[in-house]
Amino acid sequence: MAKKGELEACWSKINYAFPILNGTIFTECTNEEYEDIQEIVINLGIQIKIRDLVIIHIEKYVRQNIVPSFWAKFVKSDVEVKGFQLFKTAINDLYDSVTNFEPMLRKLSLLNSNCSDNMPIFGERDIILGFKQLLRATLLAQIPLEFQYIIYFFYKVSFNVFDNEYENSDMGEDVMCSGCWNDYSDCNCAYIVKVFHDTNRKLMELQLLERLAGQVLTNFIQMRIESHIQKLCTGTFDVSHIAFLENWLDTTVMSWLTRIYCGGSSKPPPDDKNVQNAISKFKQKLSYYLYHSYTKLRIDQLFNIIIEYPDSQPAVDDIKLCLDKTDLRPTLCKNLQTALETRLLHPGVNTSEILTAYVSTIRTLRHLDPSGVILETVTKPVRNYLRNREDTVRSVVSSLTEDGVGSELAEELAKFAADGEDDLEKEDLWDEWNPDPVDADPKANSSDRKASDIISMLVNVYGSKELFVNEYRTLLADRLLGQTVINTEKEITYLELLKLRFGESQLHFCEVMLKDVYDSKRINALIHQDNSFGDSHIMCNGMILSAQFWPPFKDESLELPDVIKQLLERYTKCFEALKGNRTLNWIPHLGNVNIEIEIGQKKLDLTVSPFNATLIMHFQDKPEWSLEELHQVMKVPITILRRKITYWQSMGLISEKSADYYVLVDGNDANRSNVATSQVQEMICEDEESESVMASAHDQREGELQVFWSYIVGMLTNLDSLPLDRIHQMLKMFASQAPGTECSIQELRQFLDTKVRTHQLVLQGSMYKLPKT
Amino acid sequence: MAQNINPHYASSSNPAKQNEDTIKLNDNHAVSKRLQKELMELMRCSDKGISAFPESENLFKWIGTIHGPEDTVYAGHKYKLSLEFPNSYPYAPPVVKFVTPCFHPNVDTCGLICLDILKDKWTALYDIRTVLISIQSLLGEPNTLSPLNQQASYLWPNQPAYKKYLDEFYNKNKDS
Repeated sequence: MAKKGELEACWSKINYAFPILNGTIFTECTNEEYEDIQEIVINLGIQIKIRDLVIIHIEKYVRQNIVPSFWAKFVKSDVEVKGFQLFKTAINDLYDSVTNFEPMLRKLSLLNSNCSDNMPIFGERDIILGFKQLLRATLLAQIPLEFQYIIYFFYKVSFNVFDNEYENSDMGEDVMCSGCWNDYSDCNCAYIVKVFHDTNRKLMELQLLERLAGQVLTNFIQMRIESHIQKLCTGTFDVSHIAFLENWLDTTVMSWLTRIYCGGSSKPPPDDKNVQNAISKFKQKLSYYLYHSYTKLRIDQLFNIIIEYPDSQPAVDDIKLCLDKTDLRPTLCKNLQTALETRLLHPGVNTSEILTAYVSTIRTLRHLDPSGVILETVTKPVRNYLRNREDTVRSVVSSLTEDGVGSELAEELAKFAADGEDDLEKEDLWDEWNPDPVDADPKANSSDRKASDIISMLVNVYGSKELFVNEYRTLLADRLLGQTVINTEKEITYLELLKLRFGESQLHFCEVMLKDVYDSKRINALIHQDNSFGDSHIMCNGMILSAQFWPPFKDESLELPDVIKQLLERYTKCFEALKGNRTLNWIPHLGNVNIEIEIGQKKLDLTVSPFNATLIMHFQDKPEWSLEELHQVMKVPITILRRKITYWQSMGLISEKSADYYVLVDGNDANRSNVATSQVQEMICEDEESESVMASAHDQREGELQVFWSYIVGMLTNLDSLPLDRIHQMLKMFASQAPGTECSIQELRQFLDTKVRTHQLVLQGSMYKLPKT
Repeated sequence: MAQNINPHYASSSNPAKQNEDTIKLNDNHAVSKRLQKELMELMRCSDKGISAFPESENLFKWIGTIHGPEDTVYAGHKYKLSLEFPNSYPYAPPVVKFVTPCFHPNVDTCGLICLDILKDKWTALYDIRTVLISIQSLLGEPNTLSPLNQQASYLWPNQPAYKKYLDEFYNKNKDS
């Protein structure tokens, strides 16, 4: 049994070896002295108790001294460099105090090795590791709210210097170092770099780097990646950036990271698996982020990319690559749809522009996603919108047959003709089959999505070829009648191309129309040879149309001058002689007239409409006319006359002397006014030409409804009065064989309402009635 | 048993009769088609003064309208008729009756018309349009030798008196 005095001596010796028991760290206890003390402890058999006691005190010390003093330095500061210094000091102090612990920890290790209980210290076998664990736990337990500020400043300052070191491209004449924002004279970049690496190394040693700075570091690098991408990729779509960006990540960003993790050296230590793992994990995270932000940026620009396609193909390739690596497909669909809706589908955009964009979209998305699923989803609103536009069909048809650069549809049509045979080969690619993407509509057939080409996608906007063929017919008719010299060969080429697409039977009418034009030339030649046609100072070429096959013309009346009428009669006679049993039915308001006007000293050579020619010919006989008189001789409504006469007014040949009274301007006056009006004239000429002579689709529909009208009159004559739905029902029952029978009840109501407005019908209550005669 | 046969006919137990009925049914379809075509024709030509239209969904019952021919005492009058087509149409004539009471030598008080083409002179070449036109011209040129309405027949030679009586009769009855 030891005495009390001996015990006290022992206790003070233990205190000497482990000063922490008294709340301090420093001791002069040497290793030899400690060995003696340990001997005593072991002899007393209290090594486990002593060890636990020491650990408890260490714990208390760390909790009460080291950690609070560490966090006390994390003051929110607005000055970056101050933040930098604060963080540096905090880490240094922490590191120093940890170092100060070391002698004691070593002693504790020795003591621990003599303890036979194998108790893990804070989950670790080793005292030193256990201590670090304790330190981390305590630190993180007391973490303050705003600790990230100074860490952020620290890394910001250092990354700036670092960037500057590796990318010092345009320093220019700056007197400031772009690394540390100091004058070059006292640039402390080198200092910053040194401190930076030092701090990182210490953090690494304490295993605190990821815990403390990981989040800040990630945020920071992500921000850098984003701004780098922004800087690099705005505005240009004709270069692929993805390889360049990967390279940038590999070199600049990763080398920086490596330096952080490895305390300044640019290569990770080959034997340290931990560091290598950490770095490669970080890299995975960052590459994903890189792809993600790049794709996001590109998706935001996708509308512009589409507009510039195919110049923007590299950008599309990039997106295609990245879409596989990220989960941005739904975002892409949604964003592009919104972009299309806000930028394209509003009344301010011309139909032709919408069509161009639509075609571009189809092409781009085909390239981006060969399965066609994205395309289907994204372009649905475009299709719906186009369906509501009145001039869609016309625009499609006219761009189909337009020549020259920029008419993509015409190219597409020609291309279809060229590679129409490819389908068979495609069947052989069964081994390259891929399942549909998950967002595909399971109801739709995937081969439908892939197979349909651009033109059929456009045609499918309406779901029927017929509309397109009809519109083409109208367009063709317009073109054939509008041109003075008709390039039949070109038209035949287009017709053949269209036949490939729409089928022979659909376009039979158009074929006849072209043949009419061709035959007319021949007949004209024959008639001119015929002596009975006689010589005339007026040349006349007829265009003989087979009325059955041409679209209906706008109904306009025009009484031609007698001279012309006689001429046309002679022409008809000759034609009748040439073609037995046939005669001609002239449509006087169609065609062109070449006239030469001599007035005073002025000579004009013009090609005008028969209308304008007739008008001016009447002034040849009598220089002054009132509108009423003109109306009498020409049988044209006064309002139209007033409009048409402006053409000659603008030419300076006719002037309005008083209201609705026109006189011929004599030559000298005409000379004067000619210059001023020449511009106006061009404008008006153009205006004239753009008017179609064909009845519009709307008018045609009106004609179809006219068929219903006779039925409606029939039923109302006999059944007195009927409500709307009864009329609709009756029409459906009895008029279903008439052409254009699809008539919705809304359309019928509209039609009946126009009839009510023109007093052809009376609406009493909800019953329609014929007015009493 | 075929499903598209009217149960009314299908319930018949006599196979021979059923067969006959089926033929009738097929004819029925042909008649509908013919009437439909006639309607289309009628709507397309829209002759002045005559018109007819199915009364309801039943294609075999029509309402016709005839305007009295110009230059006759019937000018300005409008008469409604009912036309009923038998299943054997056009091999049998339709039953045509005036709905608007008509004062005429060949029309009785019930609206029945005495017209040869509606009786023994009927052929399948006639159609609704010709029937209506015939009735229209009958108004101006009655056959006073075989009158259904004796009073009208007597009055006919005296055109002004006839006209006076007719107008009164018409105005009294036109809305009934």
